[in-house]
Amino acid sequence: MANFDILSLRTIFEDQNVMICFNGPFSHSVIEQLGEAVKNYLRSSEAPKDRIADVFSVFVEQAQNLKNYTTRTDLQSVQHSSGAGGTLAIAHEGENYIVSSGNLVQSEDVARIRRYIDPLLEADKGELKRMYKQRLREPVEQEEGAGLGFISMARKAVEPLRYSIKEQPDGTMFFNISVVI
Amino acid sequence: MTKLEIEAGNSSPSVRFDPESGLLEIGGESYPENSKEFYRPLIGWIEEFLEASSQPVTLRLTVTYMNTSSTKYMIDILDRLEAAHDEGHAVAVEWHCDAENGRALDTIEELKEDFEMPFEVISEWREPDEW
Repeated sequence: MANFDILSLRTIFEDQNVMICFNGPFSHSVIEQLGEAVKNYLRSSEAPKDRIADVFSVFVEQAQNLKNYTTRTDLQSVQHSSGAGGTLAIAHEGENYIVSSGNLVQSEDVARIRRYIDPLLEADKGELKRMYKQRLREPVEQEEGAGLGFISMARKAVEPLRYSIKEQPDGTMFFNISVVI
Repeated sequence: MTKLEIEAGNSSPSVRFDPESGLLEIGGESYPENSKEFYRPLIGWIEEFLEASSQPVTLRLTVTYMNTSSTKYMIDILDRLEAAHDEGHAVAVEWHCDAENGRALDTIEELKEDFEMPFEVISEWREPDEW
């Protein structure tokens, strides 16, 4: 590709203080290997262990959501070649870390995502704990997947979760969630 | 029953259960690709043991990290032990965690709130590259 320009890509990463970024299909081995890299990177920084554990935990929840969502076979129509897989980045944001990820979602899933996340935005620590415990106790078979993960992310975040769902020019929807730790 | 031994994987914990001593140990990181596939057989094994034997059981956890779906299965294991405790089976839980990771300690203390069986949280020193 004559137009490919890695320097401009690098400049974008540096401007946004990106530590680690992965774009593409998330397999379980990608998650394990990126996870090792994330841990090693954080351990070489001055970050205390709790913070490293929180960043790693949010990374795993987001990466597993991306993998689980983008490997669903009914998504083949949405995941055309340019949009396959997901994007996940860990960056510095001031004194904090930000773990952010995004992927294309089907329009029928938008309401479910909002139903999971919206109640978490206003909830205080006590309410989040109550929601977490309640969901933890729901029978395993009924677990819809991402619900508990979002609550766990909200509990580790130092500010409310940031999320957006943006319609793309081709009509697909792009879902992004960011967690500040 | 025979000994149960599962080696740790990159993202799955090690499991050891010695039916003679009744010691069940789960350690390491737990975020397997399919937590149901990993934990279901283990839960089945625990149930079978609790039914077949009156041997006291100690669950020693040295898990350093659990994702949310593993946590759900861990609660399932603890619930079964609690049920056995309610029926008079001698059961104890020992959950070890890194003294420097206050978050992990809080998480375990919070889970402990829901149980009546003997449940000890042990905070200990670990290497900087462990948690």
